[in-house]
Amino acid sequence: MGEENEATNTQQSTTESEALNFLDSVDNYLILIESLTSTLGQGWLELSSARHSMGGSRLNNVLLTLKHHSAPTTVELDYDNAGSMTKSKAPQLTLSKWKPSATQESNESEATTSPLKTENHRGKVLSMFGGMVSPKLRASQLSFETALETLVEIANVRSSVLEAHRALKLHKG
Amino acid sequence: MYGFEAMTFNIHGGYLEAIVRGHRSGLLTAADYNNLCQCETLDDIKMHLSATEYGPYLQNEPSPLHTTTIVEKCTLKLVDEYKHMLCQATEPMSTFLEYITYGHMIDNVVLIVTGTLHERDVQELLEKCHPLGMFDSIATLAVAQNMRELYRLVLVDTPLAPYFSECITSEDLDDMNIEIMRNTLYKAYLEDFYRFCQKLGGATAEIMSDLLAFEADRRAVNITINSIGTELTREDRRKLYSSFGLLYPYGHEELAICEDIDQVRGVMEKYPPYQPIFSKLSYGESQMLDKAFYEEEVKRLCLSFEQQFHYGVFFAYMRLREQEIRNLMWISECVAQNQKSRVHDSVVFIF
Repeated sequence: MGEENEATNTQQSTTESEALNFLDSVDNYLILIESLTSTLGQGWLELSSARHSMGGSRLNNVLLTLKHHSAPTTVELDYDNAGSMTKSKAPQLTLSKWKPSATQESNESEATTSPLKTENHRGKVLSMFGGMVSPKLRASQLSFETALETLVEIANVRSSVLEAHRALKLHKG
Repeated sequence: MYGFEAMTFNIHGGYLEAIVRGHRSGLLTAADYNNLCQCETLDDIKMHLSATEYGPYLQNEPSPLHTTTIVEKCTLKLVDEYKHMLCQATEPMSTFLEYITYGHMIDNVVLIVTGTLHERDVQELLEKCHPLGMFDSIATLAVAQNMRELYRLVLVDTPLAPYFSECITSEDLDDMNIEIMRNTLYKAYLEDFYRFCQKLGGATAEIMSDLLAFEADRRAVNITINSIGTELTREDRRKLYSSFGLLYPYGHEELAICEDIDQVRGVMEKYPPYQPIFSKLSYGESQMLDKAFYEEEVKRLCLSFEQQFHYGVFFAYMRLREQEIRNLMWISECVAQNQKSRVHDSVVFIF
């Protein structure tokens, strides 16, 4: 009798911890969504402010380059099975910002990019709007960069929300 | 002779001065801006503007409106007014009015050249050009590979030809040397416009000298701030400053070596007319600098209407309308992005 009660208590506490885990994941997800909305709003307003400062002819979608060029920022998708209660593969996204791609011919052999090179990459991307752009445009670029990081984080947290939900259903069912 | 313009100005310029003063009274007032700032949607803005002189230009635009549509239609109104004044003007007023548009011409040339470098279609580039800066052979800019060809094939027959002597090279065009070309052309244009106004003499020379000197000084500050952290050398930066203005030559020497906004502030605060502008900013901040400069410019432009019998009123009116269009653009963007709390960040009231 005592052993049955102990087993029931253990199962109940496991279910409660799974439920807490799920709710924490959802809470993180909602906080990140709010942060993304705020960052994107700031980025768009800064872009409008840059357009107001530099003029419509200098900051225009027709100046975006159509030349072939490799992306300085990539997102890698991996499936992580470690620690999964449901034995299904959870997708995990990793963002690599301002790093030369593996196919690009480059003299740089280091895996990480120094802050100076990162600034150079940022400036190079903005140079399609001119060699000397307003600081407001640079601020806008940073905001959108932050938004991209948040998006990747949201995708990973969403994955953990779904994982926690599956684990909760498994224990309840 | 200065002071005797009242005797002869109205013979050739009286009608157009009356026209431009009438147009000036149609500029949006603070009450109009207050109504516009309270709009919830772009259709509300269109409704409020229908009661102003922009009404006929916006009334046929279908919903949903876009902010670029509002700016385009408001610009068309300015272009129509300008063309009417130009076709009624005689020399030297017609040359003066043409000078006002050369800045837009330079912007259009740079837009076409940059867009072509980025492999964009010429037609979509032409659609984005400012209408005041259009000229007949503008589409053929797309064939040029370097500045020498740009000049030889197209620009030699345009009013910008004299401004090219300082920047003709055979280097292929890229983003940085296009930027240097833009600023070198604009420098040459401002200096030429300044000399032309000096030649006209009288009240025109006095008032336009002040307005163009302010423009030159503001450009020097913007070039300095925008080139911080770029590959532009101090010497190249120094070459882009105009050879007139309050900051010429000692202020330019100091600005050329500035590495951050606080050093720029340190240079500008030595000049009493610019102290109030920089006193509005906190240290390390440059976000409100544009607004502070625009406010000072609007003050000077409005003052030019206090005197009669000079051409400065035409320049002032065009600039005030452009400021108004910038205000409308900013208000529209804030309404469209649901950021009405930020609308007063960049709106400059004219009256």
